[in-house]
Amino acid sequence: MRLNDWQLAFERYLLGENAVASDALGASLIGGPSLDVETGLAIYHNAYRARLQETLRSDFPTVWNWLGDEEFDVLTAAYLRECPSSHYSLRWLGAGFEAFVLRHLVPEQSAPLAELIRLEWAFTLAFDAVPGEPLTLTAMASLPAEAWPALQLELLPSVQWLSGRFNSLAMWRAVKAEAEFPDSLELEQPQVCLIWRADLVCHYRSLEPAEVHALDGMVNAGWSFAELCAELAVTLKEGAPLQAVSWLKQWVNDGLVCQRHTF
Amino acid sequence: MSVSRPCLGYGLGLRSHYHQEILEQSPAVDWFEIVSENYLVQGGKALYYLDAIAERYPLVMHGVSLSIGGPHELDMQYLKQLKQLAGRVNPAWISDHLCWSRGNAHQLHDLLPLPYTEESLYYVAARVRQVQDVLQQPLVLENVSSYVRAASDEFSEWEFLEALSRLSDCELLLDVNNVYVSGRNHGFDPWTFIHGLPAGKIRQLHLAGHADYGDYVIDTHDHPVCDPVWELYQRTLEYLGPVATLLERDDHFPPLNELVDELDKARELGASALTRRSLCA
Repeated sequence: MRLNDWQLAFERYLLGENAVASDALGASLIGGPSLDVETGLAIYHNAYRARLQETLRSDFPTVWNWLGDEEFDVLTAAYLRECPSSHYSLRWLGAGFEAFVLRHLVPEQSAPLAELIRLEWAFTLAFDAVPGEPLTLTAMASLPAEAWPALQLELLPSVQWLSGRFNSLAMWRAVKAEAEFPDSLELEQPQVCLIWRADLVCHYRSLEPAEVHALDGMVNAGWSFAELCAELAVTLKEGAPLQAVSWLKQWVNDGLVCQRHTF
Repeated sequence: MSVSRPCLGYGLGLRSHYHQEILEQSPAVDWFEIVSENYLVQGGKALYYLDAIAERYPLVMHGVSLSIGGPHELDMQYLKQLKQLAGRVNPAWISDHLCWSRGNAHQLHDLLPLPYTEESLYYVAARVRQVQDVLQQPLVLENVSSYVRAASDEFSEWEFLEALSRLSDCELLLDVNNVYVSGRNHGFDPWTFIHGLPAGKIRQLHLAGHADYGDYVIDTHDHPVCDPVWELYQRTLEYLGPVATLLERDDHFPPLNELVDELDKARELGASALTRRSLCA
């Protein structure tokens, strides 16, 4: 067999569900004094699956905990069959897991599971994202008064914005705390949770709807600080500037935002 | 052309498990070898620790994804990232494995053996030269542990490595444990392997532990180095003279001081091997 054909046969064997080599591959190999070809090949076959599933268990510990060993292995084996690894780094192996679950399970099953997958994946994204240049209280203090009305913000690259309908965060917390694992529940109100990295550590925080509206306006709709105050004045009247400053300080203290510069 | 061998001394594989302890304790380790892929990220803890450790210790970059013998085009994006990382940490050298880890369509995330044929030899040699052109430095290639070998082999593994280093000017990372593992699995004499390599091309040695199943041995990097590998290591140093030595551990991580103790054992055994060498010279 030519090198390329031999490698193709080897690859097919590794990706196959069962550790059964084609006749051509089997005949192209030789074993050792007490290691036959079948066993030698099976070492590679087992290692391939074990390595990939170990990576997924490590990236999705709450999903693993929820499904249990057997169901997690069945689901991830199906995922790996349909979406074999395409990046040189195992760090990206789980990138398509949520989409796979949404495609393959009925919506009642897939929705809470996909949301939990998205939550756990968000932590991995926050963990090693580009640092960006966080806005600091010191920098804000040095902003001239006339610059405040036009101040605009962006989320830092590590910030992941998740809108959840289920108690995924409670499940994630239970696994972290090694506490009793809750049943899956649909929340009365969808909830926005932010996940981000500050000072090398990942953080998360759920936001009340009013804060979601304000932050969404600033970082997604491109409001200036003056526009934020005007928007808040509709409901808060003269308390609007105080609330706007309070949230702004919180976002800066959290390490969520940087200044948007328009050129 | 042989390696002018700046011996870095005795190093450990840098793993995230030990990042914080290394900064706190500044262990008596001469250098660290990083797994390059662990640091090909855009930010976060890994790079923070890498920069801090690079300020205190010499580093070597050791990759697992080059797939130098793979049936695909070389990943230029990966090589570009590797070169950027090299610019960041200024490694003493850059290594990977003589293997393939990516197939025609997918990443296989393993160090798969090649058939040692003339076809493989010229194919790999051309790709090594391509990599060296990008990195602008010699590539150092490691022998892998293997569990099958091709019936079509026209060379032994050591003959292949010798020919490859001659054709491509690459250098060699001799993993003494892998020689032992493959020797047990395939029934060759480990010393014949080591003695068959071009001594002047050996840039670095690896030491690690494995799992022994009686009929065969698996390279797991989760045990201390075993006695037969220590003996082989001493004989290797007696033959080669001083070579940078690296102790690897990838699972069942012991406390850092236990690994440093194991590295000290390598120092002692290495020193006595080098003394014997000088007495015989």
